[in-house]
Amino acid sequence: MKHPFQIVLVNKAGTHLFASVKNHLQVFRLSDGKVVGSWIDTVDMFTPLKKQQEEKIKVLQEQNKQTEESENNEIKNESAEPAEKKSKGNDSKPIKIPKIPVPGPGAPPIYNYIRSLALSEDEKHLMGTTDSDKAAIIFKVDLSSEGNCLTLIKRQVFQKRPCAVSSDQETLIVADKFGDVYSIGIDNEAPVDEKELSPILGHVSMLSDVLVATYNDKKFILTGDRDEHIRVSNYPKSYVIKNWLFGHHEFVSNLHIPEFDSSLLVSGGGDDYLCLWKWYDNQLLSKIELRDLLLPFLEEFHLPPERFLTDESQKEISIAKILTFVSKKSQKKYIVVLAENTKCLLTFELKADNTVTHKQTLTTDFPIIDICLISENSSIIAAVDRETSDSLLEFYTLGDEDVFEVQSHTDIIQTITSANECDVEKRREFYPLYYINTLRKRSEH
Amino acid sequence: MPKPHQVQVIKDRETQLREQQEAESKRRTYRDVKEETRKKHKKAHFEASPTPEESTSDKISLPRKRYYRQRAHSNPFSDHRLEYPRSPDDMNWEKLFPGFYDEETKQMTSSVEIADVGCGYGGLLTKLAPEFPNSLILGMEIRVQVTQYVEDRIIALRNKHEDEDVNFQNIAVLRGNAMKFLPNFFRKGQLSKMFFCFPDPHFKQRKHKARIITNTLLSEYAYVLKEGGVVYTITDVEDLHNWMVKHLEEHPLFERLSKEWEEQDTCVSIMFNSTEEGQKVTRNKGSKWIACYRRLPNPEECV
Repeated sequence: MKHPFQIVLVNKAGTHLFASVKNHLQVFRLSDGKVVGSWIDTVDMFTPLKKQQEEKIKVLQEQNKQTEESENNEIKNESAEPAEKKSKGNDSKPIKIPKIPVPGPGAPPIYNYIRSLALSEDEKHLMGTTDSDKAAIIFKVDLSSEGNCLTLIKRQVFQKRPCAVSSDQETLIVADKFGDVYSIGIDNEAPVDEKELSPILGHVSMLSDVLVATYNDKKFILTGDRDEHIRVSNYPKSYVIKNWLFGHHEFVSNLHIPEFDSSLLVSGGGDDYLCLWKWYDNQLLSKIELRDLLLPFLEEFHLPPERFLTDESQKEISIAKILTFVSKKSQKKYIVVLAENTKCLLTFELKADNTVTHKQTLTTDFPIIDICLISENSSIIAAVDRETSDSLLEFYTLGDEDVFEVQSHTDIIQTITSANECDVEKRREFYPLYYINTLRKRSEH
Repeated sequence: MPKPHQVQVIKDRETQLREQQEAESKRRTYRDVKEETRKKHKKAHFEASPTPEESTSDKISLPRKRYYRQRAHSNPFSDHRLEYPRSPDDMNWEKLFPGFYDEETKQMTSSVEIADVGCGYGGLLTKLAPEFPNSLILGMEIRVQVTQYVEDRIIALRNKHEDEDVNFQNIAVLRGNAMKFLPNFFRKGQLSKMFFCFPDPHFKQRKHKARIITNTLLSEYAYVLKEGGVVYTITDVEDLHNWMVKHLEEHPLFERLSKEWEEQDTCVSIMFNSTEEGQKVTRNKGSKWIACYRRLPNPEECV
């Protein structure tokens, strides 16, 4: 069987699918499922640890030098016993080379996989982040190329693990798990030493999503964090905070600005609802309740971890993805929501007066890991959590009455799935597919 | 003879341990009693008609610091079980400043204008109270017991000076993490002064983000400060002073105030002389470094 796809992403024209599995990145032509681009992350997982070791050695050498110097000074003062002691001192002090630190048994495992992916506005670049070496990766995308359409042009390592990306023309915006946001050029220039980078803004909380947004030709950065904050900062003068959007009780995991109206924002996370905002006006338009709709799809998995489990514990909702589109048939506007590890997709109609009504609950046979949307024909591609070798994707097409229908088995899906190179023996070898709910705060103090 | 000596040591340890436990339980009992008073007192403000005889006849004694001692450090990144309002609109200020709540209009007559971030035992608050009788002054402290001490201190002061001009109704304290939740309490441009007195130096390089003054946090302070508002910093750690100055200098929304300005400013002298930490530094003949910065206007194109 194959390891499920973890991230799926489609270009605006809906001609190509970008998908990641573990450290593999593949680009498929959707007309026939042919692989037109691929990249495998071959980074040495021990690079950061080796770097630490090198630094320690440097520090030790520095210290040694200093003690030697001070000893030499002492010797000068005590002129009675000169050269002999000096040489002795040098010989007896070889630098102890520290070992490469090995993570202890309790340490969280580091997986070599791609955590986030995004296309630049002009779709000439694909940007992502890796967990293994805490890097942002930038690819040049050339879909007209005969060979591999992906060329890695930059790999910028950060001090803390980056987890979300957005972009503004020639600039990549990276948010990290330490709460900071950095900007780096989308270019061929050599990466900067990570110590020389300084954040353009920061929260004192783990960041979960970042967006560059425009309002009346002014640019802003929107950031969501593990507390319940969404912050709107001016950009590029990101040190001037515009305001906070208050409405969430739990962590924020997903920020989405519809293409059809960039003054709107839909946000979701650990709450039982989504928030619909006029983000520039600092106005909460409505809360979209999800619990009743999702309840039939919540399972054991959605309960809190055992040590936090009480009789009152409810099953928890975590939002994995929010998308929006305009139906080509009816011109109506819709929001699509995926909650983590559920066998359903919810759609809501967004009316002209900004009220939201539930439209459809699309039930699927397998939990959905990630979705992407082709606006051209209002169809959805989903990566599904399945133990199989031939159908790791599902296509949902918009039928009459703007209702999605499952188109579960096509030759293209089969072609794409068999091109997935990550074979596994059993489910246990899957990388963690669901980790959004770990953002939930469970304070004990 | 080594043997009896060892016994002596063990015995000492036992005694020490016992004494420690006794002391701790004594401290706890003391704090429990105080907590009762605190609860009663807090309740009194919200119940329709507290019997006036009761509240005046019960003289509440000032709390004693030694029963509230707590380790000087706290991890600002940890998910403490904190109470904080969902947004500034949801904050019940009348609980903290009952004297500034208009029963008729159900509105506060004033809003917090001065914040002491990491107020410790509240020395600065009590000295600022008479200087700014019409401004609300809020102390924020992350350590539970220290916050309780300040609460008890304010209750006792309000009780003691009830009928006087300076009645300490304009100061209050709350437990909170200002690094994470400052915008939950204060609106854009609400504050005119922010104090950072003797903050935790967090010496280790990798702990530097835990410092209260960083480039990224300064943007949040700039957000809650009004144009012309002032950030006051004081520390006895020269490295930290240099760090704070460096970051404030680098931030485009702050401008350093001159030595002359510092000399004529009342708050600077209060900050220099009146905080517990400041007095300790004076006793130990240490140095104190001061830096004050004014909030500049936003660049024109920013909103």
